[in-house]
Amino acid sequence: MTLLQELDKIYFFMKRDILSFSTYKTNILLSILSALFGALSYAFLGANAKMQVLETYHTDLTTYLIIGLAFNTYLSQSLTLVQRTINPWSLEEVLVSPTGLVTFIVGSSLWGFIWSTGVIAIYLAVGIFAFGVVLSVNIIGTVLVVALGIATFIGFSMIGAGILILTKQGDPVTTVITIATNLFGNVLFPPQVMPEALRVISYFVPQYYFFTTIREVLTGSSLQAILPDLLILIAMCAIILPLGYLAYSWCLRTAKKNGTLSWF
Amino acid sequence: MTATNEYAIVTSNLTKTYTSKIRRPEQRTSFFTRRNNRTVTAVNHLNLEIRRGELFGLLGRNGAGKTTLVKILCTLLPPDEGTASVNGFDVAKQQMKVKQSIGTIFSVGERGFFWRLTGYSNLEFYAAINNVPRHGRQKRIMEVLDLVGMKENAFEVFQKYSGGMKRKLALARALLPDPPILLLDEPTTGLDVVSSRNIREFIRNDLSRKAGKTVLYTTHYIEEASQICDRVAIMNKGQLIALDTPDALRSRVKKGEVVDVVVKNMTDAQINTLRGVDDVVSLAAEIQDAVSGKTRLRMRLENVDSLPRLFDFFFKEKIKIINFKQEEPTLEDAFIGLTGAGISE
Repeated sequence: MTLLQELDKIYFFMKRDILSFSTYKTNILLSILSALFGALSYAFLGANAKMQVLETYHTDLTTYLIIGLAFNTYLSQSLTLVQRTINPWSLEEVLVSPTGLVTFIVGSSLWGFIWSTGVIAIYLAVGIFAFGVVLSVNIIGTVLVVALGIATFIGFSMIGAGILILTKQGDPVTTVITIATNLFGNVLFPPQVMPEALRVISYFVPQYYFFTTIREVLTGSSLQAILPDLLILIAMCAIILPLGYLAYSWCLRTAKKNGTLSWF
Repeated sequence: MTATNEYAIVTSNLTKTYTSKIRRPEQRTSFFTRRNNRTVTAVNHLNLEIRRGELFGLLGRNGAGKTTLVKILCTLLPPDEGTASVNGFDVAKQQMKVKQSIGTIFSVGERGFFWRLTGYSNLEFYAAINNVPRHGRQKRIMEVLDLVGMKENAFEVFQKYSGGMKRKLALARALLPDPPILLLDEPTTGLDVVSSRNIREFIRNDLSRKAGKTVLYTTHYIEEASQICDRVAIMNKGQLIALDTPDALRSRVKKGEVVDVVVKNMTDAQINTLRGVDDVVSLAAEIQDAVSGKTRLRMRLENVDSLPRLFDFFFKEKIKIINFKQEEPTLEDAFIGLTGAGISE
């Protein structure tokens, strides 16, 4: 099994998804419109509201909201990514082919990320061209933080997918992580506006470090400036990603052993 | 275990047990109460050897363990006990090698296809993940589509295909990597007579005879197995209860033991009484004409000497015989004799 062969497989997973996706034309249009209107409405809110505490993040509310919304797309995509590969009808067919688990997961998720990148571009374009959002992108920092955020959330996604393979009826991980992101993730409001008891929780969720650091690197901060938060994010990723892989592999093996792989 | 170059598939003492939850309506269970579990041994200490190039039929009723066996052989299910090798590779320890040696069709024809893509695009995806080399991929896809008679429909969307076309595409998918071994789990289920026959002929003539593939063909259609397979194994409750050529299995039922009788005005109670007669090994009854009260009975008798006692029964019960003939035994008769029931029961 060569690397070229595996890349070829990943390409065809992606091609399959693009071809399927492109047949849902209304859905594509609605996704673009919802990104566009989402960005517009939050940008209006940002332009007309004040949140003093944002001085901590060296940014205005519009920029804060646009970045939060845009990059939340990536995290949402990552969080449901592995679950979406568990198509009961095709899972067995893929698993009887000589294709490894990593190729399968990467291949099945690539198109989702490319599409999400497009959606992020819409959010940022609305912010920049319609509301004068000014970004000063630290490219290396951005790539690093995004990669860490995605990897951490893929870890969560694998745990959720593993539970889904066993329970067949929704997983609590996705729900808990989505709630945690919205409440404590520093997506649409900073944790500083919350009471002390709740604010503390933010420091234990990786989303907080992701959104804090991504805002910093998109507004010109150096890696050195974000190092403490970045190190915490790296540590969390180093725990969650392998844990997710182990959990997913274990659940898959258990479902195979029990013969319930395609029971959905 | 036997030398693997002679045999494409070998199982030794292979066992797979499932635990399923029982939910009877009378047993009220709440979130906190434990449900009763039932253990089912789907494959029970199975020993099987399939020769290279053989078209091997595996016959059994629903739930006999055929699909479980196929899933173990294609690495989707790990065995609980025993070993299985495919193309000389252990299904538990050498999964990638096994996967590279097989093509599979599962009992649901459209399984795994992407309905909004064309047949060609579907095969292109499966060719890639099955390591069909990129440079010859297009040619190979068209070759297999041609083989199964789907070349003309290659660029139509999958969801427009008929049931037969979907099955043919599944067969084309299994053939893509040109594997030496094919595991075909009920490949004609749900197809019309003509499509079924076309697929059977293709499997026998092109895949088995011309290409020399080893084919494990599971079915619960007895005549299918009888028509195309070199050898047939009958599986019941996870075990092989017979294994031989179709002719040899048929010959286990002697000529004259199978009778076909058309009678008039026979009640259900009388049919049940006849079933209980010692000389009658099995009996299948169907109403031939409800208006005139004709019922057709197909029976297998204990032996030819049972005939006079059978006629005695009809005479005493005052049942009129319209037609009577002794039949050539079929594989179904052998199956009923071995399992004690019809295949659909």
